[in-house]
Amino acid sequence: MMIESFLERATPIWMSMEDDYSDIVISTRIRLARNLDGYRFPLAFTENEALQVEQAVTHAIKDSTELQENYSYFAIKDLTALQRQILVEKHLISPQLAKKELVGSMLLSDDESTSIMVNEEDHLRIQCMTASFQLQKAFEQADKIDRTLEKALPYAFRDTFGYLTSCPTNIGTGLRASVMMHLPALTLTGQMNQIINAMTRLGMTVRGIYGEGSENLGNVYQVSNQITLGKTEDDILADIQSVAEKIIQKERHARGKLMEKAELALEDRVYRSLGTLTYARILTSEEAATCLSNIRLGVDLQLIEGIKATTLNECVVSMQPGFLQHYAGDVLPPAERDRVRAEMLREALFQENMSKPIIGEKGEDSFDV
Amino acid sequence: MICEHCKQRNATVTVTQVQSGQKVEHHYCDVCASQFHPFHAEFKQEPISIQQLLSNWFGSPSWQQQKAGEKQQAQPQPQTCPQCGFTYKQFLKEGKFGCPSCYDTFSEHLPKLFNRIQAGPQHIGKMPGARSNVYVIKKQIEDIRKRMKVAVDEEQFEEAAKLRDEVKELEKHLQFEGGDVS
Ligand SMILES: [Zn+2]
Ligand SMILES: [Zn+2]
Repeated sequence: MMIESFLERATPIWMSMEDDYSDIVISTRIRLARNLDGYRFPLAFTENEALQVEQAVTHAIKDSTELQENYSYFAIKDLTALQRQILVEKHLISPQLAKKELVGSMLLSDDESTSIMVNEEDHLRIQCMTASFQLQKAFEQADKIDRTLEKALPYAFRDTFGYLTSCPTNIGTGLRASVMMHLPALTLTGQMNQIINAMTRLGMTVRGIYGEGSENLGNVYQVSNQITLGKTEDDILADIQSVAEKIIQKERHARGKLMEKAELALEDRVYRSLGTLTYARILTSEEAATCLSNIRLGVDLQLIEGIKATTLNECVVSMQPGFLQHYAGDVLPPAERDRVRAEMLREALFQENMSKPIIGEKGEDSFDV
Repeated sequence: MICEHCKQRNATVTVTQVQSGQKVEHHYCDVCASQFHPFHAEFKQEPISIQQLLSNWFGSPSWQQQKAGEKQQAQPQPQTCPQCGFTYKQFLKEGKFGCPSCYDTFSEHLPKLFNRIQAGPQHIGKMPGARSNVYVIKKQIEDIRKRMKVAVDEEQFEEAAKLRDEVKELEKHLQFEGGDVS
């Protein structure tokens, strides 16, 4: 497929699935780090070695009908800066790979659920995503690709240390399992710090989705395992499963408490956010993320009707700088982006089957400027 | 100096962080320092990077800590990776290895590191297809040998002989799978 077809849709096909957890869990991601024996890791290798790794991977793909037919291959250097940014915003490639001018490439499945990064921090990173909370399904998919590739590639593996990786934090299984969760009630009730501390002690990490720096934009957090050696894949997945379930329980409990104690305040918050998104002319990404989070909570608690969770997911992805510029068809300075963001969100939420808000009588404060 | 976390004990550990291009130094006592999880200190600043951690925890490699006058080890360990030229010191600085062979070169130092930052020093997860058989068989042989020893100790020689035959059988399999019998 052409790169454009991947850039067009804000949310991939796999995202539009709903299940018992989709009020809290947005998506699940599995990543396997693999390297080829006999080649230095990307941090130390020469351009020539990089090319050899690329070639070995290309051959492995050619050898597999499955990969050959359902995947597209892109060299990072052939993509524009904007195209790369959109791929990062969709979590299809890492920011680190997007920066690789010479040696990076990626393999992307047609439904965008799987991407294989070549020459990022490790020679290979197999990444599989599913909607909602499906660790097993995502792992099975990654494992399948791993088993396909291992037939053709000389993996760096030792009986003692398992799969060898550039960073000792990925050694062993090379497995990182992450669950992306929307936790507004835990954030609102000030319980997140406590949870983050507890997770750290259990060998898990909790981060904002956009990595360090933008801590909890839109109350979305990513819970992942920190330990990769000394446990089996099943153990790691079971740990994440039970930890994530605990957090889901806590979030549901907090939502229940909020509804019980402060339904009106909550409803007020939800509708103010809806008001902001349907009328604002300038929106920073922080404000938009907060409003979208509130509306999502309102939808999940049935305080508000007529807005689909999938629309909100789409908004979260497409309000990011890369997408906005793609939407506008132009490179935009930050201030312009805030204007386009407001315009885009207005459009998205009006389209959503909602009766157009009626502008009523002017309140008595209206002229009191 | 007093530990900036507990504000009670003397600060003995210095952690240098780079925050938006600025170097910031933090001082902790070893009690507080040892409580922080390797990668995510429980305070609001950015997590301590692995490099800083490694240099803090594993500061100078053991061969440098040898006091003057102490007997040198009879066989000096190879300190430079033959494939990528990385030294252990460089690994501590980067927090990353240069190539797969680094793991062989520095294998002696790694269990200590993995005991701290991982769940242990031994991989027990999946392995590339062809190897998994070899590994599984090796494990089986190991287990049976242990049982054999117990049997011998308990003077149950008939049982021991049976187990010995099992081992022999498995070793044949192992050779067939291409694993070396050792
Ligand atoms: Zn202290
Ligand atoms: Zn090396």
